[in-house]
Amino acid sequence: MKALKKYWAIFKIQVVNSLAYPAELLWRSLAIVLFLWIFAQLWKVTYAAAGTATIGGLSLHDTLWYLMLAETIELSRPRLARNIADTVKDGSIAYLLNKPYNFLLYHLSASLGESVFRWLLNAAFGGLIAWMLVGPPPDQRGWPLALIAILGAWLLNFCTSATIGLAAFVAEEVAPFEWIYQKFIFILGGMLIPLDFYPKGLQSIAKALPFAYMMYGPARLFVTPDLGRFAALLAGQLAWLAFFGGLLSLAFARGARRLAINGG
Amino acid sequence: MLKEIRFLFSLWKTNLLAAMEYRAAFLSQMIGMMLNNAVYFIFWVIFFDRFKELRGWQLSDMFLIFGVAAGAFGLASLLFGNAFNLSEIIANGRLDYYLSLPRPVLLHTIASRTVASGMGDFTYGILSYLASGQTSWSGLARFFFGVILACAAFTAFMIIVHSLTFWLGNASGFAGLALNAMLSFALYPVSLFEGAAKFVLFTIIPAALMGAIPAEFARSFDWGTLGELSLGAFVLLALAILIFQRGLRRYESGSAIQTEV
Repeated sequence: MKALKKYWAIFKIQVVNSLAYPAELLWRSLAIVLFLWIFAQLWKVTYAAAGTATIGGLSLHDTLWYLMLAETIELSRPRLARNIADTVKDGSIAYLLNKPYNFLLYHLSASLGESVFRWLLNAAFGGLIAWMLVGPPPDQRGWPLALIAILGAWLLNFCTSATIGLAAFVAEEVAPFEWIYQKFIFILGGMLIPLDFYPKGLQSIAKALPFAYMMYGPARLFVTPDLGRFAALLAGQLAWLAFFGGLLSLAFARGARRLAINGG
Repeated sequence: MLKEIRFLFSLWKTNLLAAMEYRAAFLSQMIGMMLNNAVYFIFWVIFFDRFKELRGWQLSDMFLIFGVAAGAFGLASLLFGNAFNLSEIIANGRLDYYLSLPRPVLLHTIASRTVASGMGDFTYGILSYLASGQTSWSGLARFFFGVILACAAFTAFMIIVHSLTFWLGNASGFAGLALNAMLSFALYPVSLFEGAAKFVLFTIIPAALMGAIPAEFARSFDWGTLGELSLGAFVLLALAILIFQRGLRRYESGSAIQTEV
């Protein structure tokens, strides 16, 4: 319990920090309005041209709310790869390693604290614009399930981003890994386009990959809540979490062994 | 004038040499950015595979618009890298360094940094143009000319939004939103937008000058398109210089005359 207290304190400090520049937070949150408005134009024209009410089992209303949740997840996820990489490169990681807390749990608490208000604001602005564009949100009974799935997606993102950051122990520059990882989430995760719109073969491959559990799964569950879908999603997220959590611990243990600190 | 052009070329050469100092990092950023753009473009490949056409736009049009926009973005990153973080330079008092030297402040500031990944964007832009099916030499010349004008319009837009820092304190959040808006609108078919939205794309967020108009010019020569593009870039550049100069009068020194690297 005492151990949890310090991480709770780190979380709270980060929440307060994230509110230190409200204008900055607000401008960043407005990006979701822009993206959803562009998506709305694209999909309105596409649905009209296709001449059908549903594509891949999703109506225009479902698609926009799907994209709203996907954008909220993407814009609120931890961007810690570069932070960790910078601390590895300039040696300031040493200041975190000699403190009485676990390095990875410190970053987990800090990133969660940083994400909370960003997530709330993105969901609020995104929800408002989606409501204005296509009408009320999906069945509210599914929201608690979607929230659990979003937390699972956040944890998966944390593990992969932190592993990319720790790659700085062996690679000179980690930014390209981060860019490509993000684009895989965009395409194979279904952030730009629901995976249901893909050709069957590609759809099966994309749905089996971890990116789908970070993006498509929670967003699809939000628009079509269903206990069976939730159980499958949760099982998948837990399995990938075990894999990426293990990989992260391994990367950290190996990285810490390679660490060479000079001077004080 | 000639002196300033010589100075600009010396700056670019120094920046490039500095970026190339870490060759592995430079190459990984360049190749990484090309892969990044290619993976992003898969969205349009999947989209047009399923829906074939979008108000007259096809996959080849998307290759062309991506070519121009990525080329212009890459060129701006390579030649005027500080245009992307001008607000931080102003807010942190780092303009002191440039003010203390006998060179045009705005030009010296924005041209003092090269973003290595810009090389990846620029190269991807050329490849994307070639993939669009436009193969004539005159088309390639028009593409490069369009990219240069689009780069000028885009850089000017960045200077304008970042210069608001002189009045707002720190406009980096707003500038980030403006950058997102410019890129997002430039990379979507212009035929999606109508009425007021189209007006915005040609004026307040001049994304059409970075995507649709130079792409149209690269596709076929037309005096009207050339005039539109040149006039747009010229007006934006004049506005950017004017706003920056006006803002500079409000600048308060940070006593930060130090080496800028």
